[in-house]
Amino acid sequence: MTEMPSVRVEGASFSYPGGKAGVFDITIDIAPGELVVCIGPSGCGKTTLLKLITGLLPCSAGRVWLGGEDVTTASVRSRQCGIVFQSYALFPHMSVWENVAYPLRVRAVDRTERRRQAEAMLDTVGLRGYSERLPAALSGGQQQRVALARALVFKPRTLLLDEPLSALDAATRISMRDEIRRIQKQQNIASLLITHDRDEALSLADRVAVLRDGRLVQIAPPQELYDRPADAFVASFIGRTNLIDGRVVAPDAVDTAIGRIVTPAHAMPMGAAVRLLVRPERIEPSSTETGENVFAATVVHDRFFGASREIELSVGQGMLKIDTTVRGTIAHVHLPRQAVQFLPTH
Amino acid sequence: MIPRWITVAYFLYLASPIALLFIGSFGDLWLNSLLPTGITVKWYLDVAADPNFRRAFMASLFVAVMTSVACVAIGLPLAYAVFRTQSQRVRAAARVLYQLPVAMPALVLAFGFILVFSSDTLPWLGSIWLLVAGHIVLWLPYFLQTVVADMQRLGLRVLEDAAETLGSTPLQRFFHIVLPALRLSVLSGLIIVVALSIGEFQFSNLIAGFLNRTYPVVLLQAFYGATGFACAATVILLTLALIASFTGAFVARGAARLSVAGDER
Repeated sequence: MTEMPSVRVEGASFSYPGGKAGVFDITIDIAPGELVVCIGPSGCGKTTLLKLITGLLPCSAGRVWLGGEDVTTASVRSRQCGIVFQSYALFPHMSVWENVAYPLRVRAVDRTERRRQAEAMLDTVGLRGYSERLPAALSGGQQQRVALARALVFKPRTLLLDEPLSALDAATRISMRDEIRRIQKQQNIASLLITHDRDEALSLADRVAVLRDGRLVQIAPPQELYDRPADAFVASFIGRTNLIDGRVVAPDAVDTAIGRIVTPAHAMPMGAAVRLLVRPERIEPSSTETGENVFAATVVHDRFFGASREIELSVGQGMLKIDTTVRGTIAHVHLPRQAVQFLPTH
Repeated sequence: MIPRWITVAYFLYLASPIALLFIGSFGDLWLNSLLPTGITVKWYLDVAADPNFRRAFMASLFVAVMTSVACVAIGLPLAYAVFRTQSQRVRAAARVLYQLPVAMPALVLAFGFILVFSSDTLPWLGSIWLLVAGHIVLWLPYFLQTVVADMQRLGLRVLEDAAETLGSTPLQRFFHIVLPALRLSVLSGLIIVVALSIGEFQFSNLIAGFLNRTYPVVLLQAFYGATGFACAATVILLTLALIASFTGAFVARGAARLSVAGDER
């Protein structure tokens, strides 16, 4: 591994004919061993970004580096990207080990050696003893592992995963998620994983990149992304939110439909329109009826999930969502001052 | 209960002519009675010994094989081009081609051939190659349809992309991925072509020269003669068709088994 980031995308753009979709001016670095998860709604350009790195699509502007080498105009096959496709793209007529050994076969590694390496990699992904089967005889999770082994066996410069878990059932998905993380760390390879699932993004990533309409909105470690989202879109895409519009009335207070909310000190001018973000789990049911940011509330909707409850409340002229473990009736809620954040208004 | 009776009635309606043909082919004497009397295989031996039938059988086989060869040589690259194209115009052209056998019956094609190839400039009417050419026009669309559909079902595009990112050259992709992945599709396409070609009557009847009449054309003549003989000759054709359709079903099942569950979403 070099000191350079293993993957560097700088100002990469691509637009599809018709100009409505594509990606614009994307810059991302991925360090050796780092896993960046790219998340966004469908059609936001996630897969396009992946194709620009692999060379399956050409950049119309910007550059791509892999392992310190500028590959912007390099051919797909010379880029050495290991890719796990959404549909796995296993070769249906080849056995499991032949699939895994294929990248070695086209590199003219002799048969015994490539069989040995393929078996070793199958061991790594937990598929010992499946070598002779055909892909169609495997479950979705097993096919996924074969695809992963095939993508890693030739020691690629980067591992790219295009919605690798979307075709799996819920139970397999969670165990595969941990498996991918384990193998990725063990191989210590710079990786980019595409998903539209926020749990997947937050739990897997070293850093999460949020894409919207082909643009990179924010890239940050999961916790930072959740706690300090760049805007309302990121905030609501990455978790549940209360977005409250209001008007500044004091250096630490905002008037909203809910009532006057005391906020951390801010530098906004008086009368400015602002948008506040409060995460539902930060709002507490209150046993006292008065106090700073304590509001009378009426339960509108109460969903019980065992460990927690998601409750919608009517507060003043507005609505609040809260997540709480508290049982029993709720008549007042408390918004801790530190839980209130300002978001840019668009 | 009523749907079951309908099914049974329909099956009887379908099967009874075939059953009668079968019975007739082994019947010794069949005159003005519901069923023939006596059992014999002489009709089959007669058919096998008949030089007209032997020649017709070979002609049919020749036409079927040559049509198959042409389907692979022309149809496979064409199918690949249709599959890979981004152009709406090519896709539209392919759709027209698929509909061609429906839009243009064999009869129309035959009249066209007669008009063009009975002229002094192109005096090829009666040549077996003209028969082959006609069969190619008739059956290529079926071959294309089968193969293109399988390319889509297999997700050949993504398989090629995968192979490319894994480091293969275009030539390696063709021989390692495209050809082997499609071998069953090509086979099932060819079985359809052979089955259709062997049973074809309309076009061949009008175009074939006297010495290269195909099996179904000669078969028609047989019905002016002994019933048992005609039945035996028909059963032979029927057996060929059944073999083709069973092989086809078998190959299709194999192809379906190969397709990876992940592609079915």
